Amino acid sequence: MVEIKHLTRYYGKNPAVKNISFEIQDHEILGFLGPNGAGKSTTMNMIAGYLPSTSGTVVVNGYDITEQAVEAKKCIGYLPEIPPVYPEMRVEEYLRFVAGLKGVKRKDVPAQIEKAMERLQITDMRHRLIRNLSKGYKQRVGFAQALLGDPKILILDEPTVGLDPAQVSEVRQLILDLKKDHSIIFSSHILAEVSAVCERVVIINKGEIQAIDTIENLERTMAADKQLRLTVEGDKDKVMRLLKDIRGVQDIADVTAEDKQVSCRVKIASDAVRNEIMSVLIANDCNIVEISAVKLDLEQVFLKVTSRSQKKSSLEELLEEMPDESSAPSEDPSEA
Amino acid sequence: MLALYKKDLQSFFFSPLAYVLSALFLFVFSVSFVSFIADVESNELTFSFSNVFYNNFFYFIFIIPILTMRSFAGERHGGTEVLLLSSPLSVTKIVLAKFFAVMTVFLFMMLLSIFFPIYIMLTGEVMWSSLVCAYLGFFLWGTVCITAGMLLSALTGHSIIAAILGEIVMEGLLFLDQFANTRLVAAFPKLDALIGWVSMQRRFIYFSEGMFRLEDLVFFLSATAVLLCWIIICIEKRRFSRG
Repeated sequence: MVEIKHLTRYYGKNPAVKNISFEIQDHEILGFLGPNGAGKSTTMNMIAGYLPSTSGTVVVNGYDITEQAVEAKKCIGYLPEIPPVYPEMRVEEYLRFVAGLKGVKRKDVPAQIEKAMERLQITDMRHRLIRNLSKGYKQRVGFAQALLGDPKILILDEPTVGLDPAQVSEVRQLILDLKKDHSIIFSSHILAEVSAVCERVVIINKGEIQAIDTIENLERTMAADKQLRLTVEGDKDKVMRLLKDIRGVQDIADVTAEDKQVSCRVKIASDAVRNEIMSVLIANDCNIVEISAVKLDLEQVFLKVTSRSQKKSSLEELLEEMPDESSAPSEDPSEA
Repeated sequence: MLALYKKDLQSFFFSPLAYVLSALFLFVFSVSFVSFIADVESNELTFSFSNVFYNNFFYFIFIIPILTMRSFAGERHGGTEVLLLSSPLSVTKIVLAKFFAVMTVFLFMMLLSIFFPIYIMLTGEVMWSSLVCAYLGFFLWGTVCITAGMLLSALTGHSIIAAILGEIVMEGLLFLDQFANTRLVAAFPKLDALIGWVSMQRRFIYFSEGMFRLEDLVFFLSATAVLLCWIIICIEKRRFSRG
């Protein structure tokens, strides 16, 4: 299990990550979402122990990353955004080096390397120079490296970037397979991938957590302000007038009129208003062609959450578990 | 730590770099060697290995930055620094592993140069005490310069820049030594004492004369230690202030 406690990191005077706290449970795949520059890689680098935090800490399997760095780092396998490979080395040679670096026992090294190469399907490439491998294969070699030492926690920073669609689906399957033995945190801005693989997501923007929850909960919570997509036969002005007169209709948007049909998006206060709308329209000889609930998928949740940055009112429930946002970082970073 | 040491050593010996630099080192050594022998008849100077070493150092010092340029800057540039720093190795161990790897290449070069005393031994007589002192002095002087080269590699993000800066610093060190020998400095005893204290060339001269002074040994070793600590601090500091 990994606990991230009030993690803050400044670059000079600019905060890159502000007071982030969340947990990764055992055998869980946690998605880490955010637009470019949101602080994803910085956070991952801090969890992996590559960058120190300005304040706050990360506890990996009970070991504090700053105080018991060696023990904590032994529990972590990290695949950074750019795979950290040496182009002049051969695949197997590189993996042997990393196994040595991680302090894997000599007798376990060959078995672990074989297993990692098999999992990533790079066994055929074992004698190839990394320099001559394609980007996808370099990524796999980087991934294989993260698996060495059998770490409890895997940190994968955008593991599918640069892969072709077939490879992307293979990597996704691999991540799901790895769940049995590892806790995984992986970042991505490809939302389909996150919803296909993760149970929980953390959405981060401008260095602050915007939401932490399961995907279903997020979709449901975000769709709380109910919206209907409505297509009605009839005169545009008449339909608009009728709709506006109904109590509980909060907003009407995206109005288009075509071939005597009017389409619009209606924001309503509750489900009861939907029935009211239908009966009023039918009573006034306006045939309803289509009426459907607008459901937000993860992509819309993401856009919504990341665009609201400071306004978190409707996410209050989700953020209750979060520490007080206003608490200032305990110390200022020393300037270079 | 052994894994990193081996990897670094391999990057020298599995590429032409170590061999090219060793060949260059031996070439320079042999040129000094031959020219000193050729001058034995005509010149009043007696032939001694100390002189060969001393002469050789002025060329060798420019090889050092090429040897050290990649040690940290290469890792940064290639994005592999993150692998090392997120591994269970401490920064101290990383720095030491890299230092020992470069030192091994340096020792390899010095080992090759033993050919010359052996050759002399077959045809003439070798003054062992002087030879051992010269080797020791050369080794210590080289160690300090190597550590300085590594520090520059840790300070910059690109190998070539590290090499260029290294050449400038090595040139500066030579200049300081030359400057220390001028009449201008000699005119100011305090300045002379100060520059004399930091001038590695002056300390080397004691070694080359077959004199082993504890003071010089301590100076070279502590300079190396200080520079190594500086490298560690420099890497740690960058982790904190990067951005």
